[in-house]
Amino acid sequence: MRKAMALVLGGALVAAGCGGGSGSGGQAEIRFIWWGNDDRAKITNEAVKLFESRNPDVKVATSFQNFQNYFEKLSTEIAGGNAPDVIQMDYRYLNEYAGRNVLLDLTPYVGKEIRTADWNAGFAGSGKLNDKQVAMPLAQNATTIVYDPKLFTAAGVPEPRIGWTWSDYKEIAGKLKASTGISGSTDFGGTEDVFETWLRQRGKALYRDGKLGYGKDDLKAFWQLSKDFRDANATTPAELVTTLNAGAEQTPMGKKLSASEHSYDSLYGGYNTVRPDELKLGPYPSDSKEVLGSYRKPSQLISASARTKHKDAAVKLIDFLLNDPDAGKILGANRGLPANLKIREAVAQNLSGANKVIFEYQKSVDAKLGDAPPAPPKGDGTIYKLMQRKHEEVVFGKKTIDQALDEFWRDAEEALK
Amino acid sequence: MPYLFLAPWLLGAIGLTVAPMVVSLYLSFTDYDLFNEPRWVGLDNYAKLFGDDPRYLDSVGVTLTYVGWSVPAKLLLALSVALLLNSLRGKGQAFFRSAFYAPSLLGASVGLALAWRAIFDTWVDTPDTALVTIVLLSAWQFGAPMVIFLAGLQQIPRDLFDAAAVDGAGWWRKLASITLPMLSPVLFFNLVLETIHAFQAFTQAFVVSGGRGGPADSTLFYTLYLYERGFTEFRMGYASAMAWVLLVAIALITAVLFRTSRYWVFYGDER
Repeated sequence: MRKAMALVLGGALVAAGCGGGSGSGGQAEIRFIWWGNDDRAKITNEAVKLFESRNPDVKVATSFQNFQNYFEKLSTEIAGGNAPDVIQMDYRYLNEYAGRNVLLDLTPYVGKEIRTADWNAGFAGSGKLNDKQVAMPLAQNATTIVYDPKLFTAAGVPEPRIGWTWSDYKEIAGKLKASTGISGSTDFGGTEDVFETWLRQRGKALYRDGKLGYGKDDLKAFWQLSKDFRDANATTPAELVTTLNAGAEQTPMGKKLSASEHSYDSLYGGYNTVRPDELKLGPYPSDSKEVLGSYRKPSQLISASARTKHKDAAVKLIDFLLNDPDAGKILGANRGLPANLKIREAVAQNLSGANKVIFEYQKSVDAKLGDAPPAPPKGDGTIYKLMQRKHEEVVFGKKTIDQALDEFWRDAEEALK
Repeated sequence: MPYLFLAPWLLGAIGLTVAPMVVSLYLSFTDYDLFNEPRWVGLDNYAKLFGDDPRYLDSVGVTLTYVGWSVPAKLLLALSVALLLNSLRGKGQAFFRSAFYAPSLLGASVGLALAWRAIFDTWVDTPDTALVTIVLLSAWQFGAPMVIFLAGLQQIPRDLFDAAAVDGAGWWRKLASITLPMLSPVLFFNLVLETIHAFQAFTQAFVVSGGRGGPADSTLFYTLYLYERGFTEFRMGYASAMAWVLLVAIALITAVLFRTSRYWVFYGDER
């Protein structure tokens, strides 16, 4: 009896062992995941194929999610001991993951296997935490106002330009609604990215030394601004608030329910798929003459898992995506401006479609762009959602601004502990 | 030798059910972030659940509301359609039975929830109606209890109805005095099963609300909040405590249902 039992158990173990191992010797199999949409998937897979053809000993399995579900999937996989080898990372989540020792320290590779000669050193540094290179920035983006120039013309209002203020925006958006029937802007009060841009215009920041870098009054003023827009009939109705952070096709802009929208220039590719050649990018409104608030943000970063079995292959893929001229040509500006300046220049030589719009926008605001702040602390992912939720409660009339503010403050401080 | 034949089940039960449950019970007394070693915190997680987490209590409220509406709605729909089909006897019953069952085949599928999102566009994005759409979605999938009701209806001896007809009983009288009492064991079975299912509902709410339980927490199901705590905020110890509270709550409610069953479930062999 005992023998038979042992036999069965042994058999099961052997079977399990075979399933998990990578049967063929010498070949490294790695997994690379990112967030994005179909058009990003197409070109990313194309670049990965090129990598495989140049490195026949490496096989790369890829998969992608939309941003909303990406980090839930990632954390589940990592917790299950099934971490992908190469991981597209977000600035907001860098501390969350690196702080938990999940990301491979790339410091020994930087300047060697991962070439950085053609990089802006400061920008490469945005992937550093406590002097450890836990990620490499893939590309640069900045906040922007996406808008539909036809509607602006139809309403006889000026398009976004450097120097316009928030009250200009409110007035223009109100006129847009009045004359075209389409909302002039999307409600922005729950979006931390917009709040950050607005804060920077007032010389403040989301975080200082791991704590909130602003006061209750700041957030109150920001929510009041958003309310002023609603009261002036200058923004989308309440039920559209919940769809702001979905893919471009689900945003009010993508559904043609708004004439302008707060966004990132790197998302333009997505918008352009839904509404080809219809939309333009403009600068943020600002009440400050000097500061635009937008900054050179690492739109996405790329990391390797600390537990990868194939460090060399993972590092090779990272370098290829960042620094190979042919890969650069394929990837274009889909994730924002390429981090490698030589590649950025090469891409700029031959611009068309969405890439052209993104490059031209960044050029037009370049002189006004600030440097990136340090990566947000652990807990920012939670605070991001918290701001959205509390603002929703205000918009739907469930809470007053002051009630929501108190609750936000309590929960945000808890999240940063 | 019997253990050899039991082995596949035994391995599965221990490896996939008992062991993870024991681990999660342990984790519920720890602070565990998925990546680093769990740290023992005693009853802190449980204390925080009930003392210091208004969102948790909100999620309990949302879940109870959902269970309270979706289970009766689903059972009522299932019973009505089963009665209708039962009276068809032969005349296309097989076809309609399959047709009404079809939505349940799709189960808690993501595609279905997405379609639901598209159909109830603004409803889904308004706090006061978002939960209603999920209740509707669940009620619409009444196929499984319907088939069980139908089987139960066909078990009821015809002569009871014939005798009642001779005595001059009408349709309602037959329903109240014969059908429902004879069907009560099946009704009880469906009630217990659907209640347990409803407490565990996740996919519909997750997809319909884009994973956030929104708008404004109006569809923050218990399981959804558990998932958010565990997998997006990396508080796995806290999430484990939530899972255990849910388990105990479901067990208690099931026990209560069993207790009440002696007053309304008729097994035929009693006087």
